[in-house]
This record gives sequence, C-alpha cells and structure tokens, in this order.
Amino acid sequence: MAAELGVPPNRTPAEIDIGGPDGRIGSAFEAKWLGRLGFDTQVGPFYLGLWGVVSFVSAGLFTFIWLMTMLAQVSYNPIAFLKYFAVLQLDPPSPAYGLGFAPLDKGGWWLVATFFLTISILAWLIRIWERARALGLKPYLAYGFTGAIALYLVIYIIRPIIMGDWSEAPGHGIKALLDWDNNTSVRYGNFYYNPFHMLSIFFLLGSTLLFSMHGATIWALEKFGAHEEEAEIIAPGTGTERAQLFWRWTMGFNANAYSIHLWAFWFAWLCGVTGAIGVLLSGTLVSDWFQWAIDARINYPQAPPVPVELPLP
Amino acid sequence: MSAPGKGRGMAIDLSFTVLDGARETRVPGGRTIEEIEADFRKPGNTTFTSVFGPDPFDFWVGPFYVGVWGFIGSIAIVIGSLFYFNETIFKGPYSFPQNFFAGRIDPPPAEVGLALQRAGEPGFAWQMTVLFATIAFFCWMMREIDISKKLDMGYHVPISFGVVFSSWLTLQVIRPMLLGQWHEGFVIGVMPHLDWVSNFGYRYNNFLYNPFHALGISLIFFATFLLACHGSAILSAAQTRDPSPERINQFWTDIQYYSIGEAGIHRAGALTAAVGILVSNLCILFSGWPVQDWVAFWGFWNDLPFWRGF
Repeated sequence: MAAELGVPPNRTPAEIDIGGPDGRIGSAFEAKWLGRLGFDTQVGPFYLGLWGVVSFVSAGLFTFIWLMTMLAQVSYNPIAFLKYFAVLQLDPPSPAYGLGFAPLDKGGWWLVATFFLTISILAWLIRIWERARALGLKPYLAYGFTGAIALYLVIYIIRPIIMGDWSEAPGHGIKALLDWDNNTSVRYGNFYYNPFHMLSIFFLLGSTLLFSMHGATIWALEKFGAHEEEAEIIAPGTGTERAQLFWRWTMGFNANAYSIHLWAFWFAWLCGVTGAIGVLLSGTLVSDWFQWAIDARINYPQAPPVPVELPLP
Repeated sequence: MSAPGKGRGMAIDLSFTVLDGARETRVPGGRTIEEIEADFRKPGNTTFTSVFGPDPFDFWVGPFYVGVWGFIGSIAIVIGSLFYFNETIFKGPYSFPQNFFAGRIDPPPAEVGLALQRAGEPGFAWQMTVLFATIAFFCWMMREIDISKKLDMGYHVPISFGVVFSSWLTLQVIRPMLLGQWHEGFVIGVMPHLDWVSNFGYRYNNFLYNPFHALGISLIFFATFLLACHGSAILSAAQTRDPSPERINQFWTDIQYYSIGEAGIHRAGALTAAVGILVSNLCILFSGWPVQDWVAFWGFWNDLPFWRGF
C-alpha cells in the first residue's frame, strides 16, 4: 500500500544514493555509535564550492586576525592567552575616528576583521541558497538565515553607520560581547522596556517551547513513523493522527505535520528580526526605553498604593 | 532490545524501529478529525484507572480531554486565576487595561520567612496564586501523561513539560525555601516581573557573567537555531515534486558534513530545549545561595595553580 501511495520506503542511511562525487569532497562513512542514539549514521561527504571557499577563507582570516590581536595583547604568551581568553578583546575604533579608517592598532584590525566576518556570513548565505537550488529545493534555510543576518548587520554595520562611529559596535571577544549587551541595555534605559526586545525574547523562548513540544511529540511517536514527515505531510498516518489528537485533547487545537513547521520557521525567524528592530531603534529614534514605556502607558514606576479596604464600623 | 554495543562495555541503545503496519495506515490527504477521533476516543487506560479501576472523569468536553487530573487542574486554574485577576486587575490602581500591565502580586515581606499568611496579610494573594498555579501545572503534566497513555505514546511531552515546571518550582518554591523566605519568589505581573528579573540580575552584580546563565542562553539560542533549520528543511521538502528525506539529508551533508536524520533532529531539538532550561534553573538556584556576586565569582579563575604566575 505504501508503494501505491508514493510513500518512500524506509531506507537505512547506508542505502541512500547520494548521487556520486559531483563536486563533493571525501566519501560517506558510517559512525555506528550515532545509530544507538537514534541519529543517522552516515557522515559526509561534504560540498565545498566557490562560495564555500569564500566563506571559509573569510572566516579563517577573521579568526586569524582576532586571535593574533588577542595573542599580541598578552605578548604571545600561550598560557596567559588561555588564562585571559575570555576577557581579551579586539575593540572597534574609538568614537574620535568616526566612520573613517583607524590605524590598525587603534581599531583598524577590528574593521578588517569585521569586514571578513561579514563577507563570510554573506557567502554562507549564498552557499546555502545555491546548494538548495542545486538539489531542487526551495531555499528556505537561506530565508531563515536572513533573520539572524538582519540582527548581525544591524548590530555590527547598520546601526554604527547611522550613529556615525564604529565604536557603537561590539568588540570581538567573549567578555566584549557580554559587556556590549549589558551596556547597550543600561544606556538606553533598560532593554526590558523595549517592546521589540520583549517580542524577540518571546520568540526566542517560544521557539524553545515549540521545539520542546514538537520534538517531544515526534520522539514519543517514532514507533508509529511520525518522524517521516515528508511522507506524513502527503499522507498522514497513525503517528501524525496521534500527534494531532494529543494536542487537540490537551489544549483544544492542533497543527498538522506541515503547519507545525510553518510555526517553527516563523517563530525562529522573527526572533532575529524583532531583535534587529529593537537594536536599530535604540539610540536612533528612542533614547530611553524606560521613559518610552511610561509614555506608551505600559509602565507605571510611581504606581499609587493599592487602596486599602477599611473594616466596616 | 538488541544492543549492538553489548559485550563491548557500552550497551546504551536508544535506537527504535517503526512498528509493522504503521506506515500502511497513511491516507493521502489525511482523514477528517471526526474519522480520527472515532478510532481513538476510547474509555480507560489512564493513570487513575490503572490504580483504582474506574475513572469518574474519563470523558471529553468539546476537544478537551478531562480525566481526574483535568478535573482537579480546572479547579486550580479557576481559583488561581481568580486570585490573579482580582489582585492585579480588579484591585489595581488604574483602569483595567492599564492594570493588565501595572498590576502586581508581591511575595510576602522578608520578615515573614517561610510562614503562611492569612487572608488580608501581605503576601497572602501571592502564596495562594503560587499554590494554585503549582497544582494546576502539576495536574497539566499528569493529564498529559493520561493522554499519552490513551494514545499509546511515549511520555516525552509530559517529561518536557516537567522540565519547564521545574523552572517554576526552582524560582517560586525551592530557592525561596533554601533562602528561608518566600520574599525571594518573583513578583507576579506583566511589567513588575520584568523589573524583578532586571533587579535580580544586578543584585548579583552582573548576571551576564553567570556561567550557567551564559550556557542556558546559548542552549536556548541553539534550540531556536535548530528549530529554524528543521522548520525550513521540512518546508523545503514539502514544496518539491519529489519529497523524500534523502534529498534533505543530502542537503545537510553537503553544507555541514552531517545530517542528523528526521528522527534525530526531533530528539536533538527536544533535548537541547530541555537541557537549556535545566541549566537555566542552576543559574537562578546558585544566585544568593551560594554565589553573591557573579563578577567576583571568577576570582578563582586567576588563582588556579597552573597559571597563577601569569
């Protein structure tokens, strides 16, 4: 019956025809231990391609500049480098340089490194777009990646340009990122009152919740084949029916094998995009989110005390 | 269960097989909800029936399954909501829509310790809201177990819900008890709970330096990233003329060397989300007890013996 319905048979990863070399590097091998976790066992081969080369070379240059700058800060002492790795940072130029090119040791290396990081990310976007098209797929992964790229570009490129100097962007380094995060929030009156920050957190935690719900549902129904989603979307079987009934009985409504992935895609995409809007507005149009929330009448710092009911005489 | 690793010191086998005949139940276009429900709405096979025999609440109301846990949970939801809406909306100082944002239920003052408040004393509404919310969350988890049993599913969803329930318990019950005062619980209310989170972070100097916070955030971001990958992969596959997992697997191995597989991604996603939340519990639990300052916390790092001199 499965064959009549055009439902693909259950094939083990080893039986999958991956279509010959066709520009791919290496050959597939089996990692059996992965199978014991319920994961696919086939590893590789890998496609590189022009945009892959651009992306990896750019990312390599970024990493090299970043690490060498930090290594220089500890006089090339490897043990000090490890000890201080989390607090070393490659900072952008000071505000005095505006958007101009600063001397290399005064933030110029940050400009060069960030340039290569941006090239690497954009080349990766093109790479996953082209790979999808080459395999006859709509490039949804590339669409989704634009959400994360929007956030990156706003933080590192667009907002610094609007604000007029590169020092608005975070430095490269672990502590540098955390400090930028904290300082940007405090400087604009606490990001907790930024409605787009609220939305971004909502979609971030919402995505985690969605994947918890969806992943656990499908995991619980593997023996009914619910995880074979490409087949279940065309012809839902007992696995998908149980998944739908579970949520209908639990919360009164349910998605289906296709629409849950629409929910997934949009929640994850919007996490990046709403975050990008929130950062873009800070310092450009809104200077104090605390005051903004009072003006918008969602925040009441001077709330009068709750009226006390006097006892009856 | 045949474990391929048996005898080699590693007998963990979490693999699975699809039951014979499961794939043959697939119907192009699917069945209507009425047809599906006719097959599955059967009495019995709940937690209560397995212990006591008959389950007096083994029925549905509209699309909702009730069961004993649904019955107890509904009562807890109604009472808890009454406390919540009464305190934040009706007794709030502004108009109802404004009170939705501004309304707050504060925990008892510090001097109350772990005592229970009487009606009219400060913190009574907080204790009641937390109590009934906790009962409601627990019943929701148990009701999910009932529904899982009825549908012959694994207990992965109630376990996942239990993970986030553990966050509620950590914040409102376990940590306040460890610190000896209900005052440590968070304020209930839309904007006030944001203030509480912000103040909590700076009370321990800088929460971004809390390693469990960092790890929890990273895992939650990673779960969101995986969700984007999974959602987009399935949308791509569903919109090709030949939707087959092989094409998607090939896409993933091409761009990142490995495809975890259509079952694996659901396991990885659910696990990442769950571990992210569990690690986040630790970042709350360790604040105030035993760590007071997450910046000073890192002092140990510079004093590690092998690089003290550097």
